[in-house]
Amino acid sequence: MGINLSANKVLASIPYLLEGVGITLKITALALLLGTLLGIVLAIIRVYGSGVFRQFAIVYSRLIRSLPLLVILFMLYFLGSEIIDIPAFWAIILALALHTAAYQSEIFRGAIQSISKGQMEAALALGMSKYQGIFSVILPQALRRAIPYWANEATIVLKDSSLAYALGVTELMRRGEYVSARTSQPLLTYIVVGLIYLILTYAFTKSMARVESKVRIPGLER
Amino acid sequence: MAKPILRVENVYKKFKDTEVLKGLSLTVYEGEVVVIIGPSGTGKSTLLRCINRLTEPDSGDIYLEEQKIEPGKSNLSYIRQQIGMVFQDFNLFNHLTALQNVAVGPIKVKKMEKNKAMELAMKELERVGMAEKAGNYPAELSGGQKQRVAIARALAMDPKIMLFDEPTSALDPELIGEVLEVMKDLANAGMTMMVVSHEMGFAREAADRIVFLEDGVVAEMGSPEKIFNNPEKERTREFISKIARLNNGCKDQEVL
Repeated sequence: MGINLSANKVLASIPYLLEGVGITLKITALALLLGTLLGIVLAIIRVYGSGVFRQFAIVYSRLIRSLPLLVILFMLYFLGSEIIDIPAFWAIILALALHTAAYQSEIFRGAIQSISKGQMEAALALGMSKYQGIFSVILPQALRRAIPYWANEATIVLKDSSLAYALGVTELMRRGEYVSARTSQPLLTYIVVGLIYLILTYAFTKSMARVESKVRIPGLER
Repeated sequence: MAKPILRVENVYKKFKDTEVLKGLSLTVYEGEVVVIIGPSGTGKSTLLRCINRLTEPDSGDIYLEEQKIEPGKSNLSYIRQQIGMVFQDFNLFNHLTALQNVAVGPIKVKKMEKNKAMELAMKELERVGMAEKAGNYPAELSGGQKQRVAIARALAMDPKIMLFDEPTSALDPELIGEVLEVMKDLANAGMTMMVVSHEMGFAREAADRIVFLEDGVVAEMGSPEKIFNNPEKERTREFISKIARLNNGCKDQEVL
């Protein structure tokens, strides 16, 4: 009887949890936007850049990929509290963006390098600048090729946004914690939270698959 | 005498320890079709790539008309616009249709208005007999069709000279003819062309001059009749007869 009652309480909290989904999605979308832009720029520097810039891109990727996301998050947050005040909401977005940018730079680098050298040569032979070759010829092909790998990385960002709970941002995971405490039903609560993440990830993966087939180049394999 | 379009003077190029071009000099005159032949590894492709600076020569001078081609000093993009290049493996832009492939140069490089560029591209596609496939992507075309589109792409920039780097080497035998036809039409229309190719039929019919490259320098050159029938050097004779045997082999197969 008592268990049933508190189980009902968990179900009754679903609208409260769903409000957290809004924040989760906002964090994910902003982190992905920043992280993807930075990732593409780093990849371009890595492949076409030279000297210090190229070295920086390599070191950045190596350094960030060897740090736990939680450590990056806390460093940003406490750096924030000591120097400039970074609100928790932006700390998690920045941490996720900096983190995913490193992984994405590897994804985009691979995609760029998979485009045959002849494509750039043909662009240069027409009189295009290297810059025009990158943006008009290489990236349109490389980005298409990167979609499935990028989509996978994006779902990781979505799930990693749950680390925001550690800073008290009331996204999905944090709200799950509240509901769990209030109802004394941690298992059921986290099953519900888990299901919501599952639905989000599934919907995202499905729609990315649709995007991938929509932009597929006719006749071209892969 | 016709005026020189391209002058290559004493060009050297080394890759690692291998010296590929060893002081090569060659002049191409307006409207002339020069076919370059020679054993593999003698620097035929390297020569073409040095001309538009896809490969940087170690030393020597190259002039397009009166302009010296010097990266950093001369405007490389402007020079390259005037030199059409056709590659062995086509290198069409995979994400663009045939029409867009031809139009993209004028749009991006010459800043031509999009509608005008598309019109021009369509004309160039008609010229190579590819107008019907204007909306197709490269992956939907046969090798011969791809190469014809690639020729149209180079022509759309209105070049002063066209460089062909083994344009039929990657093609199935039955597709070679359509590409050679387009090239012959171009030659007849007065285009200045430099062609690296072992298509002897094409060389006989279309070439004004055959250049036999060996060991990084011009070993012998002359009219097709002279080079094919009466070469001065033994090496040239050997090479020609070797190629002729191969060509005849192909023709026999076609007849069968």
